[in-house]
Amino acid sequence: MEFFFEQLINGLAVGGIYALIALGYTMVYGVMRLINFAHGDLFTIGSYLGLTILTAYTVTAFLNPFFGILILIMMVMALVGIVGVILERVAYRPVRQADRLSAVVSALGASIFFSNMVMLIWGPRFRVYPDDILPRITLNILGLDVPLLRILVLVTSIVLMGILYFFVQKTRTGTAIRAVAIDHGAARLMGINVNRIISLVFLIGPALGGAAGVMVGLYYGQVNFTMGWSYGLKAFIAAVLGGIGNIPGAMLGGLLLGVIEAMGAAFISTAWKDGIAFMVLILILIFRPTGILGERVADKV
Amino acid sequence: MKTRIKLLVLSLAMALFFGAGNAWAEIRIGLMCPLTGSWASEGQDMRDIVQLLAEEVNAAGGINGQQVRILVEDDGGDPRTAVSAANRLATRNVAAVIGTYGSSITEATQNIYDDYGIIQIANGATSIRLTQKGLKYFFRTSPRDDEQGRVAAETIAAMGYNKVAILHDSTSYARGLADETRGLLEQDNKEIVFFDALTPGERDYSTILSRLRNAGPEVVFFTGYFPEAGLLLRQKNEMNWDVPFIGGDATNNPDLVAIAGRAAAEGFYFLSPPVPQDLATPQAQNFLAAYNSKHGSNPGSIWAVLAGDGFLVLAEAMKATGSLDKDELAAYMHNELNIEGLTGNIAFDQHGDRVGELYRLYRVDGEGNFVMQD
Repeated sequence: MEFFFEQLINGLAVGGIYALIALGYTMVYGVMRLINFAHGDLFTIGSYLGLTILTAYTVTAFLNPFFGILILIMMVMALVGIVGVILERVAYRPVRQADRLSAVVSALGASIFFSNMVMLIWGPRFRVYPDDILPRITLNILGLDVPLLRILVLVTSIVLMGILYFFVQKTRTGTAIRAVAIDHGAARLMGINVNRIISLVFLIGPALGGAAGVMVGLYYGQVNFTMGWSYGLKAFIAAVLGGIGNIPGAMLGGLLLGVIEAMGAAFISTAWKDGIAFMVLILILIFRPTGILGERVADKV
Repeated sequence: MKTRIKLLVLSLAMALFFGAGNAWAEIRIGLMCPLTGSWASEGQDMRDIVQLLAEEVNAAGGINGQQVRILVEDDGGDPRTAVSAANRLATRNVAAVIGTYGSSITEATQNIYDDYGIIQIANGATSIRLTQKGLKYFFRTSPRDDEQGRVAAETIAAMGYNKVAILHDSTSYARGLADETRGLLEQDNKEIVFFDALTPGERDYSTILSRLRNAGPEVVFFTGYFPEAGLLLRQKNEMNWDVPFIGGDATNNPDLVAIAGRAAAEGFYFLSPPVPQDLATPQAQNFLAAYNSKHGSNPGSIWAVLAGDGFLVLAEAMKATGSLDKDELAAYMHNELNIEGLTGNIAFDQHGDRVGELYRLYRVDGEGNFVMQD
């Protein structure tokens, strides 16, 4: 039983990261019906920017480390958000009226461009976050050893997701985003600036991906230029699992995928971890193509 | 028009004449290594080391009075790129080729060199079957997987552990080493409590660590590469689990300590051929001094040093036989060659494998240094 709960916590922590990245896929898909394949690489860029800021300016040296990390995450979110907005302007807006294939090809091209750019700027070797920024405390909760950082990663993910959820559901801009998701033309007739809303979506989605990148760097330490591919793929599965285009769906899908992977690895075989993730994708596409929470079409974002 | 064609033919003929003339005024040795791709840092080390040794030989008057020139080709750490690199080298009048890193990449090029009758000395290929094919001109300075498996099993037995967990990463190298070691340990009546693979390239190995802990091993033998080993050590430390870990030679990289953090890396054991820093021989120490004065640091990777050994072997064979003939060279290397290299004594058996014990046991100390054990 103890083993089971240990795996549950492991799965939730990884799932929280998947969920944060999945939000970027799902928001972009909801508003533009486009899978942003470059999203995983925006996550990588977030990781590297976090590392660069951390080592160059030592934000944590003169602040409380937790407060310093908060500032670091916000800085990276802003920067990656800007990259996202530029990406949309350069790669997606020119082909928005074209057929869907052009946008997908453009997205794949952007992904290759970003991962090579990261390799050229930061080099092909593994880079490592300094491991003494945050105290590495392991808590003992009801007989389980749980690293404090692991809880912080999960809590940060949930807080960011909560903020996003309230922003989309309760604010005027959020309402505009939902309106654009339903129908670009009708939203425009109601006086919504559709281009601005799309830019906003490309600011928020990549910013969350960037935050996930920093958290992965802080928690696991090691980053390299190809890491966006596997995380992006898993997050994409998570988004489909929860119902792509649906914000609560992405959160649920991410957490669920993390737990399913951890359980599969624990009780079947660790070598099957990726296989299990893809099996989940296939099963959901066969039996419930809209995803777990996919039927509420009107709430798509 | 006609004069132009004549001129063209004349200049072509001259180019060929002088080109061929140049080819024989020097000894050309090819180096095939990954200058791009995932193993780019290894390949760049190989190039630096081989070129450094060639400069030393040239400064001392060359081999048999001829200057040595190193022709470097990038194999990208990829079998397909390696095939075209091998074809380019084979058609450029090289007397022999050093390289490369990785067994599958080396294997893709073996027959090309054999067809051209060019001696190849691999420096990072450890798969057993590479030397079992009966290729007359293939040698390697790197050790073989089965030798490492044997040393691993002996080490685990000598440390007194009876319940062993083995973890690999499903690559042909790591899987082969894991199978080899498991077989030997089982013969020795040790209990294998865990045998499974992880997925390389992931960040979170806490699940597999929990499973390992549940299996209750006294020691864990991990046969994969350093990035995963570093993460395993780091996350094991966070779980407050202090089982000893032993790694294979693919974990011998200073980045391991950076990834794991010093505290988590301390006490990690791994097997590897000795790096020159740990050999008191004048060959190793002179090389280190020269490398240090040129690059300001010690070479990072043992596999790059083994490329340097490949060069020393070739230079010695060419001096001793006074010839560039492939058959004379190969016969000498198989039967008579016995030199002190950068990683210890070098001699080859009839398959082209190194003779003698190569592996040493290393331990990571509290400062993150790799300390050779006796």
